[in-house]
Amino acid sequence: MNIWELIIQQPLVNVLIVMSHVLGNNFGLSIIALTIIINLAMLPMTLSQIRSAKAMQDLQPKLADIQKKYGRDKQKLAQEQMKLYKESGVKPAGCAVSMLIQMPVWIALYQSIMLALAVAPEGLLSLSRYLYSWHIVYTVIPLNREFLAMNLAQPNIIMAVLVGVSMWVQQKISTVPSPDPRQAQQAQMMLWMMPMMFTFFALSFPSGLALYWVVNSVVRIVIQYRMTGWGGMRRQAPKAAEGDKKYIKFEAKEEKTSTDKLGADIVLPDSETLKTQMLKPSKQRYQPGKDRSQHRRKK
Amino acid sequence: MLAVVILALGAAAFGCISGISAVGWSGGTVSDNTIYVGSREGRLVAVNLSDESRQWSEQVKMTASTGLFGCGPGAGGCGTSSTGVAIYGSPVVNGGLVYFAGYNGKIYAFNSGNISQTRWVYPRDSNLQPFVGGLVTDGSKLYIGCADGKVYALDATTGDKLWEFAPGGNKTKEKIWATPAISGGTLYIGSFDKKLYALNTADGSKRWEFATEGAIMATPLIYQDTLYFGSLDRNLYAVSAANGKEKWHIPAKNWFWTEPVAVNNNIYAGGLDGNVYVLKADTGEKVATIDLKGPLASRPVVIDNSIIFATRKGVIYTINTSTNQAAQLADIKLEIDGPLTAVDGIVYVQTQNLALQRINSVSGSVLSPISLKSQS
Repeated sequence: MNIWELIIQQPLVNVLIVMSHVLGNNFGLSIIALTIIINLAMLPMTLSQIRSAKAMQDLQPKLADIQKKYGRDKQKLAQEQMKLYKESGVKPAGCAVSMLIQMPVWIALYQSIMLALAVAPEGLLSLSRYLYSWHIVYTVIPLNREFLAMNLAQPNIIMAVLVGVSMWVQQKISTVPSPDPRQAQQAQMMLWMMPMMFTFFALSFPSGLALYWVVNSVVRIVIQYRMTGWGGMRRQAPKAAEGDKKYIKFEAKEEKTSTDKLGADIVLPDSETLKTQMLKPSKQRYQPGKDRSQHRRKK
Repeated sequence: MLAVVILALGAAAFGCISGISAVGWSGGTVSDNTIYVGSREGRLVAVNLSDESRQWSEQVKMTASTGLFGCGPGAGGCGTSSTGVAIYGSPVVNGGLVYFAGYNGKIYAFNSGNISQTRWVYPRDSNLQPFVGGLVTDGSKLYIGCADGKVYALDATTGDKLWEFAPGGNKTKEKIWATPAISGGTLYIGSFDKKLYALNTADGSKRWEFATEGAIMATPLIYQDTLYFGSLDRNLYAVSAANGKEKWHIPAKNWFWTEPVAVNNNIYAGGLDGNVYVLKADTGEKVATIDLKGPLASRPVVIDNSIIFATRKGVIYTINTSTNQAAQLADIKLEIDGPLTAVDGIVYVQTQNLALQRINSVSGSVLSPISLKSQS
């Protein structure tokens, strides 16, 4: 038995089995309980990861400005970005590092679930080398694989769909919008690729594993929601101000054109423009023969 | 970049899980100088021991879903090219027919002289739950335990079902993975429900049952009116074949996965803790404990006054039954889970590389393996 198996896999397998016994010989509940417990144990790291992501999100406007300013000079752009990170105390790699540290634990957990499930006869035979010599462990094997009318050792399409949906929500809620179109595109790709990939896995692997993925995603969604609200799930408000700006510009252009012609309408685009124009009355031309009541105001 | 790392780690982790797929560990059965074995391609293979010529049956395939990547239960295994059904039980030869049961929940019969054509299949149009234990026969009937928790008796000639026995009535869902043993009109079989059952072979009625604290995977050894069998509760039991009363039991450090053998009133039981427990058959008194330094999952064979054991790591040992001393015969460096078979001083065992390994039981020399890979 190597160090990985001895220190991580073996304890997890035995804890899963004991919990299954404690929870009424229900392996499904055991998976749910252990996933939640491990999530709680990893909470400080998860929170740090979310905080890093949140800090990055808060920096986005400034990053966008830098991008705009130094977009063509890659070296200068990188320097300015690093400077900004340093000044704001944000570690851009912090999020990824935290995730990478947690990954072995998640991998160990799902390997342990697979081992404890002992799907094939070879699996049951392999399981024997991971068991502690506790009486409780030996008497509960092989584990009861029935959970909510499904066999945890078999793939289940409903669980596969749940994996995809929960993972998508998790990805979406934690996605940080990026000003860099390339990064934004990558994030968008990940948003769909990861859930789809895991859905395909779930269609092929035992539903006990899918149950673990779903519970894990749900716990992460709850944590993320408590920290940042709906995040990326929030409906993006239409960019009204921007729309107006474009409209104003357009109207201004039109106004200029229209005033060149005699008899054309005077267009008052919006209050701001109107104020400006009121301050400069000389630019508005009075058109004789036209009733003021016929003037149209466009907004 | 992060996505790539995550995907790579995920893929590696999936790859590290062994035992997801059913692969099979069928042993060999010898009849008329031919050894029959269920290959990991899902075929019955007949090897003529004189000239090593081989004959293959049609490949038995899964009809149930095996998952997108072929990793579902019963599939040939993730990452392997095999799409055939896993075969665990050793074939049975009887009255010109050779039988085996597959992990796809079907039992097949072939003419022993020509295995290229199927004689009958049970059930004909559907599939039962997987068969992990092997078949036994008393000449006219075949008996087998199924993962649906039932014991089936079939007509050996036609494949018609004669009776079935469900230990817990129709409510039970506890699997049966053990191969039964038969003696004097009684069938003995262990179940995941932690009990050993004695059934009347005539009608499947229960004669008695014996409860342990763990699931029973091993076939009982019937020796001098006593059954000797191991349980996943780490005990080896001796039980009266007549009434199911316990005579004795001894604990070990891990499971007893396979059946023991008996020589000269001594029981030799190999455990997954790597020890061979030598016990007096009548009292269970420990004669010797022989450490073979590796889990023992495959059924041993008796050749003259020695017993051959194989560890899962692929090391073959011989134990002298006079001195109870062990000596290493060979190390084939391949995992061994299936039972050993011996013919004319040669030990045969199937390994995961689709080959039948051959070891001389006296000299320990490893002969060139016989490939079981089909040529079609």
